[in-house]
Order: sequence, then structure tokens, then C-alpha cells
Amino acid sequence: MQERDALLKKKVVPSVEVIPPERLKLLDEIIDKYAGSTQNLIPALKEAQELFGYLPMEVQRKLSIGMNIPAPHIYGVVTFYSFFTITPRGRHTIRLCLGTACYVKGSKEILENIIKDVGINVGETSEDGRFTLEAVRCLGACGLAPVMMIGEDTHGNIHPPKTISILDGYQ
Amino acid sequence: MVTLTVDGIKVSVKKGSSILEAAQVAGVRIPTLCHDKRLIPYGACRLCMVEVTSRGKTRTMPACFNPARDGMEVTSDSPALRSSRRVQLMLLLRSHPLLCPSCDAAGDCELQNLVFEYEVGDLPFARQSRYFHLDNDSSFIRFNMNLCIRCGMCVRICEEVQGQSEISFINRGMNMEVSTDFMRPLECEFCGQCADICPVGAIASKWLVGTGRRFELSHVTTTCSFCGLGCSLTLEEKDQQTVYVNSSPDSPNEGSLCVKGRYGWTYAYSGGRLATPLVKKNGVLTETTWEEALSAVASGFSKIKKDHGPQAIGALGSARMTNEEAFAFNRFVRTVLGTANLDHGASSYGALVDGLAPTLGYPASTNSIREIRNAKVILLVGADLTETHPIAKNEVIMASGRNKAKVIVIDSIKTKLSERDGVFIKTPFGHESAVVFSMLKHILDQEIVDKTAIASKIDGFEKFLESLKDYDPENVATLMGIAPELIHQAAEIYAKAPSAMILISEGSNRAMSNAENGRAAAALAVISGHVGKESCGVMVFGEKSNSQGALDMGLTPKHLPGFGLLEDEEARKKFESLWKTKLPSSAGMNSREILEGAESGAIKGIYLVGENPVDTYPDRVLTEKALNAAEFVVVQDMFFNSTAKMADVVLPACSALEKEGSFTSSERRIQRVRPSTKEKLGRSDLEIFNDLSILMGNASFAYDSPADVMTEISKSVEFYAGVSYDRLGLQGLMWPVKDSSDDGSLFLYGNGYPHGRVKLGPAPELNLPKQESNQFLLVPGITKFHSGSMSTWGKSLLEVCPEPMAQMCSSDMSALGLEDGDTIKVTNDLGDSMKLKVKWSRRPLEKQIVVPYHFPGSKLNKFVKWNEPLAEVKVEKA
Ligand code: SF4
Ligand code: SF4
Ligand code: SF4
Ligand code: FES
Ligand code: FES
Repeated sequence: MQERDALLKKKVVPSVEVIPPERLKLLDEIIDKYAGSTQNLIPALKEAQELFGYLPMEVQRKLSIGMNIPAPHIYGVVTFYSFFTITPRGRHTIRLCLGTACYVKGSKEILENIIKDVGINVGETSEDGRFTLEAVRCLGACGLAPVMMIGEDTHGNIHPPKTISILDGYQ
Repeated sequence: MVTLTVDGIKVSVKKGSSILEAAQVAGVRIPTLCHDKRLIPYGACRLCMVEVTSRGKTRTMPACFNPARDGMEVTSDSPALRSSRRVQLMLLLRSHPLLCPSCDAAGDCELQNLVFEYEVGDLPFARQSRYFHLDNDSSFIRFNMNLCIRCGMCVRICEEVQGQSEISFINRGMNMEVSTDFMRPLECEFCGQCADICPVGAIASKWLVGTGRRFELSHVTTTCSFCGLGCSLTLEEKDQQTVYVNSSPDSPNEGSLCVKGRYGWTYAYSGGRLATPLVKKNGVLTETTWEEALSAVASGFSKIKKDHGPQAIGALGSARMTNEEAFAFNRFVRTVLGTANLDHGASSYGALVDGLAPTLGYPASTNSIREIRNAKVILLVGADLTETHPIAKNEVIMASGRNKAKVIVIDSIKTKLSERDGVFIKTPFGHESAVVFSMLKHILDQEIVDKTAIASKIDGFEKFLESLKDYDPENVATLMGIAPELIHQAAEIYAKAPSAMILISEGSNRAMSNAENGRAAAALAVISGHVGKESCGVMVFGEKSNSQGALDMGLTPKHLPGFGLLEDEEARKKFESLWKTKLPSSAGMNSREILEGAESGAIKGIYLVGENPVDTYPDRVLTEKALNAAEFVVVQDMFFNSTAKMADVVLPACSALEKEGSFTSSERRIQRVRPSTKEKLGRSDLEIFNDLSILMGNASFAYDSPADVMTEISKSVEFYAGVSYDRLGLQGLMWPVKDSSDDGSLFLYGNGYPHGRVKLGPAPELNLPKQESNQFLLVPGITKFHSGSMSTWGKSLLEVCPEPMAQMCSSDMSALGLEDGDTIKVTNDLGDSMKLKVKWSRRPLEKQIVVPYHFPGSKLNKFVKWNEPLAEVKVEKA
């Protein structure tokens, strides 16, 4: 039995960030505005994310108590919508296309370069807070494959070894 | 009613029933994987698809989701349906690991059964693997989300039935799984309902993991030995060990159990169980034989009878005895010992005996538990059901969730149910009745009910009306510091509702206020016309498994079995001729008087059966003094507890898992208690009473078996007349059961009152306490994880609730500089103090600390007196 258990992947423990209490107080306004109905959860989360950049445990807990919505439900909503994030965002979001066209044309190597040089995998944020990496499936620009977006900028026809020099333009 | 055919069988069902329910009535089985009768239909699995022909058109639709309509012709099986079901199953198998041979759920898995039934072979598409961690971090329950088929039943039962919402679907797509927020371990009720309802092995009870296949286990169906709700449960055993407890979907509780019922049975296996009798020799309790111990008891009590007369003996029983044992105990105490001094449970049955009975007729709940879900308004009077009676709490959750019932909570603390839609009225602890009387005043003043019509039906109405003069909502609200509108609102919601139920939970922590709460509730129900109808009336939930049965069998100072009074010659005569002896002709002492009597010397001998007053009664100091002062103390118990340590003779009693009999639940439901295959420790109370009475020279007192006692009960207690063991099936019988063809009654007073009319006594004088602002109030609380002091003997419940945690509100905690887990020191006026860990909770209001009283070690009952159930204490950081 234990052997079988060991074969299964280990649990990922999400990091707990500490938001100072005085900043957490800023949530009160959002709670006052939206408390009373579960339907208001999504707009409340949206504003909270605008405030803190992400939705860590403390923020979700406080919303849960303030809005009287069970914390597991809030977490379910946050993890369902890709718009919400529970880890801090980098200053720049890299959205690397791993769709079929881009993949065969080299986005796998681009990914490997980012992993190697920036030190982050898909879904992670670099320690210096510079980049958050996301993978997307087809940006609808297959003609430009491989494609990657950084913030609002689109970079196409990327030569994989050039990955880092492109990133250098974003500090 | 609508009429339709299912597979050619004609059925009529209630309007609003689903096609699935109609099929069940017709006896047609439709496969389901996401349906349970306790849940709102969801329509996720699509296995229940049926073909429906209506007005000439045939369509395929899910049976669980669609209402049955007149004239429908439903076909449950056809080649097309079979193949659609097969495809649905294949889609489920696409990402479900095919590791059935090593899966704990094999043989007890709905998916496996259906895949077998529908002969699913090779999958026509590629399989997709998911890799979820195996989550063993929670108590009792483990998660293996690789097996999940996303039926949502766990999430739904946790929200819709338990009202907990502890788990949710998290993440999306292939990564979707069931977990808590941030995948933390469970911090919930631990009811295990999610594991029980999971059709596969994705959520499982840890104790079943690696134990063996479910079908290898032997099964015994019995009644829960914890609270008074009487949930029916099935002990599943292997090698004479209970390994799992579950409940049949066809039981009155529909398969639902709370944490105590499901996981609490380990107390019976505790190392603290007594196996050998003890007799005090030279001041030390020493192991001895049954013969010696029993004759010591017989001669001890005989001596006191001879020297001081029978009235120098007091006997305390317990609401954990079976009906048969309680009946025999009553007989033993009243005839063999010859004393009227008999009581149980710190007289905590006031709501029934002094509340409901004088007004309505019977000291019993008027209606049944499953009616709560259909009531439009539920009024909770000092009933923190989440902690005291979790399965009744589920009913309130269902009523307020799916039926949008209003929940009115009158309590001294915020409860889980005060968060539901309705009104919360904060009262000083134990003064809930003041609000109820005030609601009555409002209803009558505003003529919301027809006063003259009521006056003609009720005895004592004028006097009652007069006695309400101080209960003006404005006055009561000002004294309590709340808004009078809350009382108006509550009164109007309750009185105008088409159906409304009042729920009260009794317990020794509420002994002081129970009677008034019961009286106020009965008056409110009667005057508002909410009695004698479905989903109306007053329910009083007892703390222990046979709280109702103990009253039915007369374990009080004044009663004989069947509610007859010792004082009443006719009632006495009946039992005198049945038992062929004289009976005491006046009421005896109650539990408090017995203990005070022992302290003052009037009581010389005390017989305690299944009762542990040192740990559970108010005023520990008095109890200890009383037991020290008494000449001869006999304790008959499962455990070597604080009371047993003070005894002269200790007789080991067996547990509810080791004996036969019946319990009567708080909905008057008489249900069987059956022994499991577990090795028996000690003797049953009935066996001991038999032996003692023979030793004490009353040979006519010899019951062959519990069934034998039940025969005598049915002969002598009118409302048990039609009860016999062979009639007590899974559903039991709800009294009154007049004869062997009577199936019992869901609710009382549908055809009038036993005394013809309702009697209202005057309301007591309004007397609200003033709390000094700088002192804290120590509120004795109950936690759902424990019950009395029995559960703390079992390992399982201690795992989730190991010690009494004082609960405080956040403003008090920050004022004292406290954080969760800090230790506080609580001191009373006399300088007694105790140290407790503290945690934040939403329950206590300001200047209150709520402490569960189940833990003997904390000696909480040192702080409370019989007439002062609440202590004012000083709280400081330790
Ligand atoms: S054990 Fe009960 S309360 Fe806890 S998650 Fe499961 S269903 Fe919900
Ligand atoms: S864990 Fe079980 S009950 Fe819950 S959704 Fe998955 S299969 Fe259904
Ligand atoms: S303790 Fe009460 S609610 Fe829980 S299972 Fe037992 S009878 Fe039911
Ligand atoms: S595959 Fe990358 S843009 Fe379409
Ligand atoms: S049982 Fe009807 S859709 Fe699952």
C-alpha cells in the first residue's frame, strides 16, 4: 500500500506570503462594498487582485470571513479562472505559446532557455520579481511561430538562442 | 399527484417528484452515479438517462433531474440507453486508473459495479493519466483524487446537508480535484459523510484502508450510543473488532451520521474500561470476584435499610441505560431498595417534564426530526445544534438552504445556524425564555392570532396573559441591550408561518433554564396554532442516547414507567400488582437533593449506575463532599472514572456494543440496540439488577432477557403497548404504539390532547441578570466531538479534539494580548483557577469564554453551582 502511495506525486505546498496587517486592512473597503451575496465574489476578487497583485492565503481568508463565503469555495473560484493568481506576479508576464505550430518550430527550446537562465518554469515567478512565465496554447499567430508575448508586446519568429536578449529589454 | 408509467408499471407520485423517484416507487432500478436522495439533483453523470414518451414525442433525458409528469411513459432500458450508458462509463474510465485489484474500494465501488453490469470492455480512445498526491494529512479521511469521477456528491453533501462547505472543486480541466483551500488538512466537523458518499475510493475512511474488502466484514445494525437523536448505524467488524461504522440509506437518518456516531465508538475499546469488580478493603479499591462484590453491595444496602430506613438510600441512573435496564432499575430502586429517591442526568430533563408535559400532556417532543427540513420557520431556543445534535442541524441546513426557511436563533452565543438567513437574538445564557415570552406578548398584543378563539381552548389563558405584562418587547429588549424590532420580527415570522418548529437542546449544562424554555416554547407553539400538524410543534433533543427512554421508564423522583406518578394511587396500584410489592407513595429526592442529603447526613447509601456526577454534575466540590460523607457508595460503570475512584464497590458494566435492548430517541422512536461480536467486558446493568435483587431477597424479580423486560413494558406502559422486538426493524416504531397493528405516530396531538385541553401556567416574573462589565462569563459549552464524559475515553475523538479549548471573540483576545494557542488563567471569586488554551471563535460574544465541559481533567464543574450555571470569572494571560 505504501509503495503504491509513494508512486504517486508528492503534495505541493503553496507558499505563504506575508502581507503586513495595515495593507490587509485595505480589503475592508472591498468587503463593505461586496459583502452580502456570493455573486459578488468575482468582482471582489478582481479588485483584491488589483490591490495586491495576487490573492494569497491571508487575502482569501479575510474575504472569506468578511463576506461569509467558505474559504474552500473562494479557493475553488480563484484556481478555476486563469485570470486569478495565488502567487505574486512578476513585473512582466511572459506568455509563451506551446501550441503545435510554435512547439515544432522551437518554443520548447525557448522554454528550456527561460528555465535555465531566468530560473522559472511555467506558473512561476522569478525571485527578483521580474518575470512570471505562463504557457498558452496558440495565440492565433501561427504564421509568426514561435511566438511569445511579454506584457502587451508580441515577439514572433523567435530564434531560440535569442531568447535571453529579448528578455533583456524588460527590466 | 401525477400518474405515469415506468417500464409499463403504473405509478402515482407527489407532484414535483423526479422520474427517478417515480421509478423507485415502481420498483425499477435506474443506474446513477451522482445522485443521492439527500442531495439536490445535479445531473453530472448522465447514467440515469431514460426514454420518455409524452404527447406522442419520445425524448431521452436524465431521470434524476426531470420531474415526473402526468401521462409520461418512461423506458429505463433499451439498446440505445445501454449503449449511451456504456459510453458514459468509458469516458469516466478514460482517466480513472484501472487499479481495481489494489483499490481499497473494490467490491464497494459504484463505478466498478456499473462497468461490470454494462460489460464495458476495451476503450476506443487513448487513456489519460492524472497524477495527484495522496493526501493522508487529515484525521479519519484520506483523499486519492486519481480515483475521482467528479460526481460532486462529496462537495454537495458537505455544503447542502452538513452546511460546512469545507471542500470544493479546485483547479480546472484535468487538474480539477476536490480539496480544501490551499489544500490544507480538514478542519471541519469530521462527519465522514464525504467519504461515505463517494461512489468510488477517492475519499475514504482511513480505517478502511488496508483493512480488507467491505464485503468481508460482518455487520450488526444498532442504535448510536451518543446523543438522543437515535441515528441507526451499522457496525462493520472484522475479527471481533469494529473497523468501520456506517448507516443504511433506508434508516430514519437516511445514512447520515455525525463524527461521534461514525468514529466515536473506540471508547468501547478503551484501556480505561473496567473488567473486574472492585471492593474497598482497608481504604483501597481491590480487585475481587463478582460473587464477593455483589454480596458486598447487597449487604451494604440491606444494612442501611435496616439502620436508617430505605429513604436513606439514593439512586442515580443514566440516560445511557437501555429502556429495559431503566425499567428494571426503576423496579429495583422502588421495590428492592424501597426508596423513591431516584433520578438521572442532573435533572436536566426540565424542558420535557416541567415544560412540555404540564402544557401539552406528554414529556416528549411533539414531532419528528425529518419534518424539520420542510418547516418554513425554525426557532432555535438555546439550541446550538451544530455542537450538540449535528444530525438535527443538518435538517435546519436543508430547510434553510433548499427550502428557504427562516432560522430564528435565540442564544447567548453566535452559532453556526445564526449565520443562516433569519433573525439572531442574543440573550443572557439561560434566559432564552424571556425572549420567547416577549414574542408571545407581541403576538397577542398585535392580535396576530385570534385571542378569543384561543382563550376558549386553553385553561389558564387569562392568568397567562396577565403574567406577560412585564414582557413587553420594548422592555425586554432594553434590559437585554438589543433592538425591540428583532423581537417583533421574530414573533411575526414565527406566528405567521404556515409551518414552524421550535427546537431545544437539553443537556446538563442547561439544567437551570430548560423548564422555562420548554414552557415558553410550548405556549408559543400552542398560541400560534403550530401544534398537532406536520413540520410544527416543539422538539426537545436530549443529550444522551436514551434521554427519552429514561423518562418513559420513569427514572425521575416522581415517576413510574409510563409517566404515572408515585403519588397517584391508580398508577401506583397498577405497578404494585404487576410487581407484587408496595411502592413508595410520594415523590423522592432529585439528584441535587440526594447529593445535598448525603452531605448533610440524610442519605447514607448511594447507588450510581452509569452516572459520573463528580465529572459531569454542577458543583464538583459538593459532589465530592457528598460521596465522602456517604457511608456506602456503589458505582456501576464502564470506566474507572473520578466517581468510581470514590466508591466502596465498583461493578464493571458493559458498553452499548456488548448488550441488547432498545433506546427511545428524542423523536419518540424506539429502536433496537444489538450486541456486536466484540468481547463483552463486565455485565449488563440488567444482569446486575437481576443478581442483586435475588441476593436481596426478591426472587420474583428475574428477567430472562431484555426481550422479557420489553414484554412487561408493553403490558404496563400504554404507549408502548404494541412494541415487541420483532416489530422493531430498521425504522423502529414511534410511540404512541397502541397495539400490535399500530405503526406509531410521526407527530403528537393531531387528534387533540390527552387531558382534553391545553393548560398554561403563568409566565415567571421577568428576571434578567446584570453582568458586571469587567468580569467574563464562563459559558459551559458542548463540542460536537464529544458527548458527556464518555467520548474522552476513546482515542478517535481525542485526535480531532484533544483538550478543552476556551473560545473567545477577537476583540477580547486582542484586548488581553492573546493569540490562538496561548494559555489563559481563569479564576473565580473563590480563588479557584484553571489554565486553558484559548482560540478565536465566532461563537462567543464579548466578555464570554465558552469552554466545553466534557473533559474531566479541566474540572470545569468546580466553577458552576446548581443554581448558578454560569460563573463570573477573571481571565488573564498565563
Ligand atoms: S468530513 Fe464532513 S464536514 Fe468534513 S469535509 Fe467531509 S463532509 Fe465536509
Ligand atoms: S471525490 Fe468521490 S464523491 Fe467527490 S467528486 Fe470525486 S468521486 Fe465524487
Ligand atoms: S451522536 Fe447523535 S447525531 Fe451523532 S450519530 Fe449519534 S445519534 Fe446521530
Ligand atoms: S501555435 Fe503558437 S500561435 Fe498558434
Ligand atoms: S444520476 Fe442523473 S445525471 Fe447522475
